[in-house]
Amino acid sequence: MRPLMLQGHERSITQIKFNREGDLLFSCSKDQKPNVWYSLNGERLGTYDGHQGAVWCLDVDWTTSKLISGAGDMTTKIWDVEHGTVIASIPAKSSVRTCNFSYSGNQAAYSTDKAMGQNCELFIIDVRTADSSIAEQNPILRIPMLPSKITSMLWGPLDETIITGHDNGQISIWDIRKGGREINSVNDHTAGINDMQMNKDGTMFVTASKDTSAKLFDSESLMCLKTYKTERPVNSASISPIMDHVVLGGGQDAMEVTTTSTKAGKFDSRFFHLIYEEEFARLKGHFGPINSLAFHPDGKSYASGGEDGFVRVQTFDSTYFENIFE
Amino acid sequence: MPGVDTIKSSWADEVELDYGGLPPTTETVENGYKYVTEYKYNKDDKKTKVVRTYKISKQVVPKTVAKRRTWPKFGDSKNDKPGPNSQTTMVSEEIFMQFLNSKEEEKANDPLLDPTKNIAKCRICNGEHWSVNCPYKGTAMDTNLMEKKAAAAATAVVEAPKTGKYVPPYLKDSQKGGMGMRGRDDTAAIRISNLSESMTEADLDELVKKIGQHSKMYLARDKNTGLCKGFAYVHFKQRKDAAAAIEILNGHGYDHLILNVEWSKPQNN
Repeated sequence: MRPLMLQGHERSITQIKFNREGDLLFSCSKDQKPNVWYSLNGERLGTYDGHQGAVWCLDVDWTTSKLISGAGDMTTKIWDVEHGTVIASIPAKSSVRTCNFSYSGNQAAYSTDKAMGQNCELFIIDVRTADSSIAEQNPILRIPMLPSKITSMLWGPLDETIITGHDNGQISIWDIRKGGREINSVNDHTAGINDMQMNKDGTMFVTASKDTSAKLFDSESLMCLKTYKTERPVNSASISPIMDHVVLGGGQDAMEVTTTSTKAGKFDSRFFHLIYEEEFARLKGHFGPINSLAFHPDGKSYASGGEDGFVRVQTFDSTYFENIFE
Repeated sequence: MPGVDTIKSSWADEVELDYGGLPPTTETVENGYKYVTEYKYNKDDKKTKVVRTYKISKQVVPKTVAKRRTWPKFGDSKNDKPGPNSQTTMVSEEIFMQFLNSKEEEKANDPLLDPTKNIAKCRICNGEHWSVNCPYKGTAMDTNLMEKKAAAAATAVVEAPKTGKYVPPYLKDSQKGGMGMRGRDDTAAIRISNLSESMTEADLDELVKKIGQHSKMYLARDKNTGLCKGFAYVHFKQRKDAAAAIEILNGHGYDHLILNVEWSKPQNN
């Protein structure tokens, strides 16, 4: 395969996401402009200019009309996807680490960092009326996160729950219909959760953790179903929508990269079988750790964004589909 | 007014024009491929011709997706032409997925265990088979080697000296009773190479002790890791011992590796 290299960012990529149909790929990085690309040919559609700090997270809604992004400039911004203009800018008290639209697109959730004397907090806002008044409205719900800050967040099935992954490896599930009551929490991971991604039908999600493993959880009971072990911190993991495959990306901590050779870095994407927990393939490409991974919704390609600032879109060869796991 | 144009420009002017400007960009579409030929100046002010080949493919997509394809570009891409901008979008070099089908196959990739390549070399007769299967096994040729091997293995457990720490030359064991640093005699020195990483001075001492007395030995170690770099020098007291060592140890199996022993070559400086 000949991957597409998308070079629209000046600093390391923090998150990438496809929209629902997979024709657009959104990327954000520690520079201040989220980008949007046509996933088919890698053409850049535009940039979303307005943030004044590292953009940590983004999400696009169901209809690809609104984009939400959270940044180190202590704002969450809602954008018009088509024109690249800001619909609303919601101030926070510390930098915004995670943000997600609910599946229906009626609500959005974002979480702030535990920094500058502020505690980590989870906010749920109503985004049905898409105008600047969102900034003045009170959030529907505020859930303080006392023990450890949120590093990753997902909406649960039917937009009834929120699943949070924490800095200390804890994963919690919150019922937002009942005022943000914690339903359950597990401590299967021993170090911070870097990323969580749902499978296609939302019944399971895969976590990527600093403790060098990725785990598969049931999204209702938080039961740990599978563990994918590696020997390096895992920064992101994604489940294939059509095959029983998981792709893991990671590498050394960014601070150690300069002190070791590129060969030792182990910056390849690693493919594991979802059920047998066994690695079956690797793919090289990045020359820095992979920070974010996303499968195309049709499962025939996937994208990875790295600390090196590149987004790479890899389309699988026929050998990938012919390779039957024994 | 094509007529006026042709009268105005003589052939000489046309040649001038050709050298002055750049030919316009052309686009040709041929059986499903689009060829875009562009001319530009490169860094050295030389004209270059850039031919880009696009494959035109049709896709049936949902209405919303088709509509999104027509969206005008915005932000930093506002002034980009339709189609990928070569500054932001590149096609990287061909890469292949590495499949690791199962644990067995992963091991099979190890050259040592690759059945297609016969890398076995007999320690006893140098034939293309493992020593275990050697027809000369148990004969006089073998026992000689076996004794040495056993002795060497026995001392392998001896604690290795602490490495990486500076030891003054006069305190080094191997220097005691030897000649001074300068003007050393290289005539009875041998070089042993293809040693394994785990080799220590004690192992080396054990290996050469039986052959004859040595005045000095040096095991090359990696500066950072303190592991053996794979070669060592041994200075024997007598040249005949050194010759014997080469005779015996060259081709000798040690720590799963076949040693290579030769005369130490004098330094060039």
